[in-house]
Amino acid sequence: MEDMLFQANDIGKEYPGTVALKGVDLEVRRGEVVGLVGENGAGKSTLLRIISCVEQPSSGSMEMRGEPFRGRNLLEANQSGVGMVFQEQSLMKNLSVAQNIYLGRESQFRRLGLIDWRRMNASAAEVLSSLGLDDISPARNVLELDFATRQMVEIAKVLNIVGDNEDGCLILLDEPTSVLNDAEIKKLFEKIKLITGQGNAVIFVSHRLSEVIDVSDRIYVFKDGRRTALVDRKDANEDLLYEKMVGRTTSGEYFKVKNQTEPGDEVVLEVRNLGMRGYFRDVSFRVREGEVLGICGVVGSGKEEVCSVLCGDDSPDSGRIFLGGEERRFSNPADALDTGILSVPKERREEGIIGILSVAENISLSSLKAISRHRMVSGRASVDRAEEWIRKLNIKASGPKVNVETLSGGNAQKVVFARVIAGENKVVILNHPTRGVDVGAKEEIYQLIREITGRGIGVVLLGDTLDETISLSSRLIVMKDGLVVAEMDSPKDSKPSQFDVVRYMM
Amino acid sequence: MMKNLTVRTFVDNLPWLLLVALVAVFTGINPRFVGPISLANIFMAAAPLLCLSLGATFVIVTGAIDLSVGAIVSASCVIYGLSFPSMGNWSLLAALLFGLVAGGVNGLLFTRLKIPSFIVTLAASALWRSLALIMVGGGAKGIPMELWPKLKWADWSLGVVPILFLIALAAFAIYYFVQSKTALGKSIFAVGASERAARIFGLKVNSTKFWVFVLSGVGSALAGAFYSIELKTSQATIGDPVTLLAIGSVVIGGTPLTGGKGSVWRTVLGALLVVIIQNGLNTVAVDPYWQQIVFGAFTILAVYLNSEKGGRNLIVK
Repeated sequence: MEDMLFQANDIGKEYPGTVALKGVDLEVRRGEVVGLVGENGAGKSTLLRIISCVEQPSSGSMEMRGEPFRGRNLLEANQSGVGMVFQEQSLMKNLSVAQNIYLGRESQFRRLGLIDWRRMNASAAEVLSSLGLDDISPARNVLELDFATRQMVEIAKVLNIVGDNEDGCLILLDEPTSVLNDAEIKKLFEKIKLITGQGNAVIFVSHRLSEVIDVSDRIYVFKDGRRTALVDRKDANEDLLYEKMVGRTTSGEYFKVKNQTEPGDEVVLEVRNLGMRGYFRDVSFRVREGEVLGICGVVGSGKEEVCSVLCGDDSPDSGRIFLGGEERRFSNPADALDTGILSVPKERREEGIIGILSVAENISLSSLKAISRHRMVSGRASVDRAEEWIRKLNIKASGPKVNVETLSGGNAQKVVFARVIAGENKVVILNHPTRGVDVGAKEEIYQLIREITGRGIGVVLLGDTLDETISLSSRLIVMKDGLVVAEMDSPKDSKPSQFDVVRYMM
Repeated sequence: MMKNLTVRTFVDNLPWLLLVALVAVFTGINPRFVGPISLANIFMAAAPLLCLSLGATFVIVTGAIDLSVGAIVSASCVIYGLSFPSMGNWSLLAALLFGLVAGGVNGLLFTRLKIPSFIVTLAASALWRSLALIMVGGGAKGIPMELWPKLKWADWSLGVVPILFLIALAAFAIYYFVQSKTALGKSIFAVGASERAARIFGLKVNSTKFWVFVLSGVGSALAGAFYSIELKTSQATIGDPVTLLAIGSVVIGGTPLTGGKGSVWRTVLGALLVVIIQNGLNTVAVDPYWQQIVFGAFTILAVYLNSEKGGRNLIVK
């Protein structure tokens, strides 16, 4: 086909224990904007990383400009005309716009071993002007620019890097609008049109469906690493996309829904008008004993920050927290633990386990009093309890004294759970409790969560997928842009559908 | 259980092997090396070094470093000697109290201002060294000879083991107890292995860091008092060379600078090794100027052997 710029055929990507992408086909034509949508973890970002050669696919092939395309890194992708604008801005804030645009490519301005800054600035001005960005001075520090302008500079930079060979390039934009306001987004979209008008193509990823529909010519929908739909702009509407993103529900048996416990009457945790400037405000909810309260929302909805306030890692600016009816304040996780809150954190390797310490030490560190005899920490008690937990949670470790870093993801996560439950705290925060865990271990963890609530512990859950959050929770709150926008029950016999929840999230 | 002798287990057991090997070599060159006088000398020199290295071990296990141990030794030596005429043997308490305060200052500055520990303690060491010099008014001031009988107890020894070394062993027992039987001891290793995880686990990270510096200050102060007792003088420069010796004892014992691993019992081996290397070089008559080179090389080698080669644990403290 004459206008075909990029093609991906049957791309698959496997990580140990999980399949991130399976059988994905993608076509991008010259002058086109292709939108990618899907829930967190659906595989969009993985696909972008593969196209930009930051990661290698496990299977499948790609073509760029009709030639086989397989780079070993971003630099080689750039040479073939593929450039990526990253989700987290990657400009050096302490350097000027021009220095950023030519970062790593300064040698073209070298004269007698020194860099000719004037020539670099002039050249950068030309680059910016070709995108209609004449108002950005190339000599200014990136630090002084607002987010929207930085984003433009970044796009200009990427375009300049890949645009050297004039034959149409492919620009990948990963959530470029997340930090922009409406006017800035409009400006960005104008630039996107300008770029594609010059014969280039753009792949655009965003959580905001309306934007994707706005800017894209064709939209690929992803779910669980597969492409579930390809929708033309003229056929696209938000409801249709939601439906394709959500797909069919996983069976309740997988999530042990029949074991879901009935919450008691006692409120173990109550939050009133909690707020943290710039992240969320007026968040109020109650968690009763034996209840799982699921918090739904996209990345950036404020749910992660609510979670880190609850476990003491961040301090709120306003609002009150009550435990067992008593108002409590805490400024660090140690204080939170004193009041009876402990979390299974999101980043297992950095926050959940201490790899160079043993399984026994990891399990006992959050409940040192419990392993003390005559006020002295007892190594024997620690090992005995660890052996008990290894048996109870079916942790595959050769013994309580091996280092946790030698365990697989699922088993390490069970060690985290053992530590969190061992202290018999009243409230447990589960932040992505099944992240990076294989299917078998996931099921065991679901069963474990049912057992935790069976003991009257109140649980706040941020699930890895929406499906998981709905299935595990007995009640749900939905957050969007820092506010609680919906609250609903999720009893075991009539679970709300993902569609019911997603419509509030987006 | 039979285990393959991997490089790792070899390095882990190196301090023992080295201790035996060095004693054998030095004895081979000069048989008097294991004689009673030489052994008593080794224990006498090891006593203060062990005390100040014990606390330094905890600091290093948390992943920080205390460069002020030498200056605290100097100031404590001066405080002990100067207060001895009025307080007698109670001046030990004055010295230890000073160590508590000095360590507390380090701990507070480190945890409250969040300044890297090496710069806090380096700056603090200038403070304590100046204080020591000002108090003594120059180089050294002796404890009056008529008071020496009051220090007679320090000459007592159990066979070849002098009482000061026995006291140092008692200090070791206390630090070992803290390390293995208290919540603080468990926190020290957790904080050193992963500060972020330790925080999320609900451990009191700042209080842990504070107390290791206090324990380091107290250990150094005890060492300072030992020097004053042994030399019967207040010497304001006595601690200048010992900071490197203390850090050397810790790393030669096998506690890595990257934190989260190690033990005070390793430091006992390390301190003995350091003293044996020094005494051994004396016994075989190596020029004292060259001894520093040997010692520095040993320290670098020990850090190298104990470091992870993956490049994951960069030491920027």
